[in-house]
Amino acid sequence: MLSIELYREFSGFTLDAQWDAASGVVALFGPTGAGKSLTLRCLAGLMSPQGGRIVVNGRTLYDSTHGVNHPTRDRRLGVVFQGYALFPHLSVEENIAYGLERLRRKARRARIEEMLERLALGPVRHLRPASLSGGQQQRVALGRALAADPELLLLDEPLAALDSPLRRSLRDDLAATIRGFGKSAILVTHDLAEACQLADQLVVYDQGRVLQAGPKDLVLTRPATPAVASVLGIRNVLEGTVIDSSGDTLRLKWRGQELVAEGAGRAMPLPPGSRVAFCIRPEHITLMRKDRHGPATARQINMLTGVIVDEVDLGAVSSLRFRVNGDGADASRGYDLEIEISKLIYQKLCVHYDRNWTVSVQPGAVQLLPHPDSSPTLNGDLASVAIAARSYRTSLKNLRGYITRSIGVYREL
Amino acid sequence: MNLAPFWFSLEAATLATLLTVVTGLPVAWLLGRRRFPGHGLLETAVVLPLVLPPTVLGYYMLVLIAQATPLGAWLDRAGITLQFTWQAAVLAAWLGAFGLFVRAAQSGFELVDAGLEDAARTLGRSEWSVFWSVTLPLGSRAVLAGTMVAFCRAIGDLGITLLVAGSLPVQTQSMPLVFGGHGSPLQLDLANQLLLLTLGLVAVLLFFVGRLARVRR
Repeated sequence: MLSIELYREFSGFTLDAQWDAASGVVALFGPTGAGKSLTLRCLAGLMSPQGGRIVVNGRTLYDSTHGVNHPTRDRRLGVVFQGYALFPHLSVEENIAYGLERLRRKARRARIEEMLERLALGPVRHLRPASLSGGQQQRVALGRALAADPELLLLDEPLAALDSPLRRSLRDDLAATIRGFGKSAILVTHDLAEACQLADQLVVYDQGRVLQAGPKDLVLTRPATPAVASVLGIRNVLEGTVIDSSGDTLRLKWRGQELVAEGAGRAMPLPPGSRVAFCIRPEHITLMRKDRHGPATARQINMLTGVIVDEVDLGAVSSLRFRVNGDGADASRGYDLEIEISKLIYQKLCVHYDRNWTVSVQPGAVQLLPHPDSSPTLNGDLASVAIAARSYRTSLKNLRGYITRSIGVYREL
Repeated sequence: MNLAPFWFSLEAATLATLLTVVTGLPVAWLLGRRRFPGHGLLETAVVLPLVLPPTVLGYYMLVLIAQATPLGAWLDRAGITLQFTWQAAVLAAWLGAFGLFVRAAQSGFELVDAGLEDAARTLGRSEWSVFWSVTLPLGSRAVLAGTMVAFCRAIGDLGITLLVAGSLPVQTQSMPLVFGGHGSPLQLDLANQLLLLTLGLVAVLLFFVGRLARVRR
């Protein structure tokens, strides 16, 4: 449905992004200044890249090799801008009607009524945007963008300017509207919760590049590289040595302890002795209750003993900084793992008084992260192909050929 | 009371203001909205006439359209005589008002959020349409203010009119000329009456335009 290759140099910043996406909602996720909004501006034609190609639903909007560059007004993309960019001098109704100039009078009237009805804006139809609530403004922005029936909806940080409680409720509204209209959409955000709630696919950006692109669940549970994990805010990114792998199970050594990872071993044929990065989500680590040694000791894997050296109160949860008793250096400054437990458990286990613990990690929660220089993996994310391809690239044309070949190779596998 | 100078001033000033707005809008948009090589140069050229006193400006204009200059010769060949006509008076007033109007309108356009224009583009509008439906309405206060200033300057432009249009009674005798008494015996009484009339009219006009500008917001 959507295929994008963009290249543009700025002073001190290079946008160099390639990704594809199926229909649905795609979230461009990454820190501020990663090039997400620039990508959106290029898509909308508000900025020209220096090279690349943009294809939406089989329609080429931009192609540097063939000199195609459709102006913004012909691209038929509905854009919801950061801060909404509603026309302050027009009423709600006139804002929604703005993109319907090409329709006949009667059809336009009908479309306006339909939009006002569907977005519950009827009662405020004659008001100016300045006198609307945040939620109403968002609906007007969506209505204006959707009225002309665009091919694709582009949303640039639609909730960034709002404070936290309002943001959550508007996020629900936004999700409902996008789903209700059944449009494919591209959402730019630096809020992972927002990306997770609204999108089916994730494209992870950092410093002008795409680190990984793929279905949301895949990207979240199998970040392709330590860099992706770090951009996604995944903590406990660690590095160990492979002991052996058999089928679905991989045994590795870390800090003198043995860890078992399940479910990821097949994706990467890793020879014994090779270094491998992995991560463990803080909420996937459990403290072993000292009064119950029965069933847990029966399966003595992924048990780590250590000391809680520090803790951070995060409201409903406590984040514990845990140092493992083992060989080698700490993974981080003074500790190895971040563990998140709910306040209730914290109080029940009297963690405040007792700092020496044994923790357990589910084998499935140890997630392997291939390094960027390793070969493209079977989970087939195009980003790692692109990253590998970059060193070979002499021109965009070559790159396109390479990606096509890589996809071919992946299909054969 | 001979009202001819009064009406002439009014007509010439209105015409000059219209001409200023029509020619000034594209220049103001260009300066306020586009970046191009020579931007600063154009900006300077537009403002420069404001530095000169009206008299000097009128004098230079007279020199420029005199038959001896290439422009004057070309106009002469085309059968157009500008010196000492009412058209010249309008042209002179235009020259004086142009820079004032452009500066005001330009700063108005600069303040219009470019994101709104982008939004208009994504909704399928051409550049022309974006200007009329977004840029101009949102910059309308500044444009109106510029128009007011241009009108005031035009109606008060004594010096330029004096030099270029001369002072032919009825034909080109404008209010400031009557007051200045150049070219004809001093008619202070008439001048005073006409001046009051003009001031009153302009005051009423400015009041209503000012209200209009406030209502639009």
